[in-house]
Formats: sequence, C-alpha cells, structure tokens
Amino acid sequence: MPIVELEKIRKVYDTKVAVEGLSLTIEPGTMFGLLGPNGSGKTSTIRMMIGMTVPDSGTVRLFGKPFDRKALHRVGYLPEERGLYKKMKVIDQLVFLGQLHGLSETTARSRSLAWCERVEITEAIEKKTEELSKGMQQKIQFIAALLHEPELIVMDEPFSGLDPVNAELLQDTLIDLRKEGKAVLFSTHRMDQVEKMCDEIVLISRGKLVLSGSMREVKSSYERNRVHVVFSGDETFLRNAEVEEAKNYSGVAELKLHSEAGAQKVLAEAMARGTVIHRFEVKEPTLEEIFIERVRASFGDEEARGIVDA
Amino acid sequence: MHNVWLIAKREYMERIKTKGFLIATILIPLLMGGGLFGVATMASKAKATSHIAVVVGSQPQLAEDIKKELENGKDSKMTVDVVPASTAHAVLDQRIANNQLDAYLVIVPATTVGERPTFDFTPRSTADIATSTTIEDALHRVLMREYLAGKGVSEPEAAALIEPVTLNVMEKNGKHGDSKASFYVAYILFLLMYMVVLLYGMNVARSIIEEKTSRVFEVLLATITPDELLAGKIIGVGGVGLTQVGIWLIAAGLLAAQMGMASGVSLSMAQAVFFAVYFALGYALYSSVAAALGAMTNSEQELQQLNMFMMIPLFFSLLMLQPIVTNPNSMLSRIVSQIPFCAPLLMNLRVSISMPQPWEIALSIGLIVVTIYAVLWVSSRIYRVGILMYGKKPNLPEILRWLKYS
Repeated sequence: MPIVELEKIRKVYDTKVAVEGLSLTIEPGTMFGLLGPNGSGKTSTIRMMIGMTVPDSGTVRLFGKPFDRKALHRVGYLPEERGLYKKMKVIDQLVFLGQLHGLSETTARSRSLAWCERVEITEAIEKKTEELSKGMQQKIQFIAALLHEPELIVMDEPFSGLDPVNAELLQDTLIDLRKEGKAVLFSTHRMDQVEKMCDEIVLISRGKLVLSGSMREVKSSYERNRVHVVFSGDETFLRNAEVEEAKNYSGVAELKLHSEAGAQKVLAEAMARGTVIHRFEVKEPTLEEIFIERVRASFGDEEARGIVDA
Repeated sequence: MHNVWLIAKREYMERIKTKGFLIATILIPLLMGGGLFGVATMASKAKATSHIAVVVGSQPQLAEDIKKELENGKDSKMTVDVVPASTAHAVLDQRIANNQLDAYLVIVPATTVGERPTFDFTPRSTADIATSTTIEDALHRVLMREYLAGKGVSEPEAAALIEPVTLNVMEKNGKHGDSKASFYVAYILFLLMYMVVLLYGMNVARSIIEEKTSRVFEVLLATITPDELLAGKIIGVGGVGLTQVGIWLIAAGLLAAQMGMASGVSLSMAQAVFFAVYFALGYALYSSVAAALGAMTNSEQELQQLNMFMMIPLFFSLLMLQPIVTNPNSMLSRIVSQIPFCAPLLMNLRVSISMPQPWEIALSIGLIVVTIYAVLWVSSRIYRVGILMYGKKPNLPEILRWLKYS
C-alpha cells in the first residue's frame, strides 16, 4: 500500500500556477527526493500533501485513503521556515509539540530526552530556544517532527544551514528510519545528498513534473559519456573531435563526449601525445548535471541561467 | 477539543510565568490606586494658598473682612495684604511680575446706595480658575454676612444660614447608601473592563503575529486546524486576563474589608455575576476581532495602524459613559447599550447603576453572542488563509476573496 499518492494535483495562486497536474507515489521504506529550482512548487506540493492547503483539482491520498486530518498523526513535518517559541524551554517545547501529535505527557517527555541524546544536544534540554545556536534549533525541530514515530516523514530542506558534521548526523538518522520501514520525503538543492541517500526522485520545474523514477533508472537512462581525467603534460587531447565540452582545471578535467564510445579514442590520443594520465574514469552524468540540463530544457536556456542554483 | 486545551494551556502558562505579568499585576493597581488616592487627597486637602493684595476702596471694613475670610476661610489659606487705594496699579503689576504677588483685587464701590460693590481681579494667570473661584465664593460669603449683619441677624445665625445643606441619598430599601461609592464602583468596573479588553485583546493579536514571525504556526497547522489554534489562543490569553482581574478584585475586596470601607459600597451578587458575564463576552468579542487583525498583519507596526478598529467602539463607549451615568434609562442609553461592540461595557454599566429591564439584558447578551459567532466565522477564515500568506499586506478585495475560500 503506497503511503502517499498524489494524482494530477493542481494549485493556482491568483494568477501564478504553483503546481500543475503533478502525480507521484511514495512506497513505505523509501527515501524520496523532491527536487526542483527555487519557486518550482516544492513547498506548495508538500503543503497540499499534508492538508495545509487544498488542491484546486486532483486528489491526495495518504495511507491508502482519501486525505483525512486524522492521518496527520502518522505524519512528521519539518517546514522549510524553521520556527520555535523563543522564550520556551526546549523540553517544554518538545513535550508540547509531542502532545499536539497525540502523545501523553510522559511518553512525550521520555522520547524527547532519548532523542536529545541521540542527536547530541542533551545540554540544551533546560535552555530557552533563544539561547541556542541555529543548528541546535534545527535539531530540536527535527526531533519535534519525529517524536510521535510517524510512518511518513516530510522534510522541507532538512539540511540547509547545518555544518557537515551535523548534516551527516541527521542524514544517518533519516537512513536509519528508512531502514525501519518509514517513508521519508525531503526536498533539497544539494544533489550530492540526493545521490547518496535517495531511492526515488522527482524533479519538478515550474510546477510540472520533469523527471521521476528510481535513482538507478534515472541515471541509467543517461549515457555514460562523462570522463574525469587527472593528467600532467600535453593537454591537446582535450580538443579531440569526440569531446563535446571540456572543463580543464589545470590537470583535472571534466569532459562531456558526444558518445560513450568516444572515451577510448580520447585516451588513445592522450597516450599517443605522451600525456601522463594519473586517472581516467568514464561515468554517467551526475545528478547535478542532469538537474541543470532538465531544468534548462524546461525554461529555455537563457532564462534558466539565473534560476538554477543547484 | 484536546488540542484547544493544549494550546490554551501553553498560552496561559507561558504568560503567567513572565516577569511582565507579575509586574503588571502588582504595579497597575498600585499606580492607579495611588494616583486616585493622591488626586482625591489633594482635592480634599488643597486650600488656595495664593498671595493676594486687596486694594482698599472707600470701605476699609469690607477689605478687612475679605482678608479674614481669605486667610482663614473654609477652603482658603491665602496670604492677604491690604494696601491703600493710593497704590498705583503699575506697582502691583510689577510685584506680580517679580513673583512677590499672585494677584490683586480692587474694590470698586457701588455707584448707588444699597447696591453691591464690584471687584476687579487681576491674577498672574487668567487660567488660574481655582483661585478666582475661591475668591468669588469668599466675596459672596462676606457680602452676605455683611448684609445679614445689617439686617440685625446675629453672627452664629448668619453662619448657620450660609452653611450648605446635607443631602442623604437613600436606596430603595431604605438603607442609607453612599451614592458616590456606588458610582465609583461602576466607574472602576467600567475602566477595568475597558483596559483588560483592550490590553488582552491586543495580546491575542500579538501572539498570532509572534507565531507568524517565528513561523511556529506552520508546525502547529500540520497537526491542528486554524479554528482550534484560534480558540485555544483566545481562551488561553483570556484566562490570563481573568486571572489578573481576579487577583485585583480579590485584593481590592480584602483591602476594602480591612479598612472598613465596604459598608457603603454596594456591589451586589447580581452585579458581580453580570460583570463576569459581560467581561467574558466582551473579551471574546474583542479578541476575535484582534485575532482577525493579527492574521491580516505581519508586524506590530502594521497592527498599530489597524487597531483603531478596536479603539473606536471602546472610545465611543467611553464618551457614552457620562450620558448613561446621568440618565441610565433614557432612549439614548437604551439604544447604545444594545450595540454589540459597546454592550459589554455599557450594559454592564447600566446594570451596576440601575438595573435595566430583563429583556434588555437578554437582548444585549443575545446580540453579543451572535456577533461573536459572526466575527469568529470571519476571523477563522481570514486566519486560515492569511496565516499562510505571509510576506505581503493584503488589500480589501483580497480579504473578501479569503472569506469565500474555505
């Protein structure tokens, strides 16, 4: 039974179309990445998914049933705009939010303490939110979204603003939850995170679905026409006829070839010219490259330059 | 319902715990009580103490009598110099300019026999009404005493005649009541309600804005409905207001009982009950309006611009205070006390002055309840949409569109 099913949802604000005929399905135990440039409709989609706004047309189904507010007790949500009561103590805040999700006070308290330990912020428990760093506040909200052990976890940009150590801590936590069979959906700009973590992705641009499928499917649908070369010496091989585009960072080059087969020819030329090759790797495009390419295609090249910031 | 309770509880506990609450609870009655007491004391004790020169005309005896009256009169303790008629006015003007004198009085003898003399009074400031009123009274008494003495009335008899009469105000049951105390009770209840409704109504608006600026509501709205959030806020913040007023009233009651002042003050059980009912209704009404204002705005500054919508009916009620106190059952009083936004204050005032007809009370309560329902309906719709549309200020057509959106 799919956890989330969106079917042809559409949302228009005044004159702007935020989401246009979007459909997607999330199965239990998947890490689902919702990708898209700024203003592409990610947050609007998430808000409709959890019933904060109602789609103008289309249907939202959660846990196999048409949307019903009762289902929200099984959803954990971390909004993009982080917010906590500034003057409230961390523990009181967590207990309050846990209670709103239907937990008893004692359960909420004991789980809050356990989570604080798990994400290493035990020393913050008795402090007021306003005394904490931004990263710590983010961890507290992260906990607040998970206290009631939701089966669906929805996080809007969960790692933005975190240092690498903390980002990894939270990434590992999400991966653990996925292993427990929970469905995790998160939106992000950081393609390296998506590539590392996600099982399935959806790319939307201008409110429309541009690309979707499992990570493997998406990547294998692209040719292995990228080459990563580390070399020293003569660099004329970079101008080989097989090379469509080359970026040379003095000794480290990223090549885009016309076809997968061209790689051997490029390597042969380099050897013939006596260039010393330290590394020569043929690979599929990165998700970032796919992202930029698809988004540009959806906008038209010129327009996209200012919009894509991934 | 459980969620409403949770929101209300958080709102209540977080507010009660603040230092601001403690300070307001202690300081406001102290300042108000101190202020009232101070003004009352000054008004009762204050005697005019100006330094005045009286220019003797053709009647030295009259000047001496005036001097005596002004120096040791009922409510004046002035310093009076009697100066001869030959003193030039310029000299006296100079003394006023040098702050040696506050005013001077010139006795102008009557032109015909038997007429009263007239008086020319030159004060430093013509705005000093208190001094001129005191002098007027004193002159009146002196002239009357002279006239009575001229008719052969003895001095004690004349004094008895001049004394003001005593008016004993009785209540309908024949008990001796203190009309001033009852009036003050009504007045204090009115001000208390006015203040708390304004203060705590605005707190609801502020608390909504606070949640909007800190973005907490987005987490909250993922589990609860905007209606629950709104209801919880109104109840929680209202509970704080009720607690504060409760503390004040109990403290005031204890203090009054301690000082034995409660005897003349008649706050009946019915009045107390109606106060509670109208307070709760008035508070609910104004908080719903405030909640709508809070949902429409994004900052305190924007809220300030809109809060005239709350101030106008409250100010109107304040203006109506005097006509209702003087004539609680006039047509005007009856009509304005039915306007839902004024009724919590004005009908309650009428109840504490002179009990209106039962149907009037029932009608006003009914009207308030209907209005609360209507305002809540509108507020919760504005709230639901407005809260997610932060960032820009809505215009009227947009707000109207929100109402249609559910």
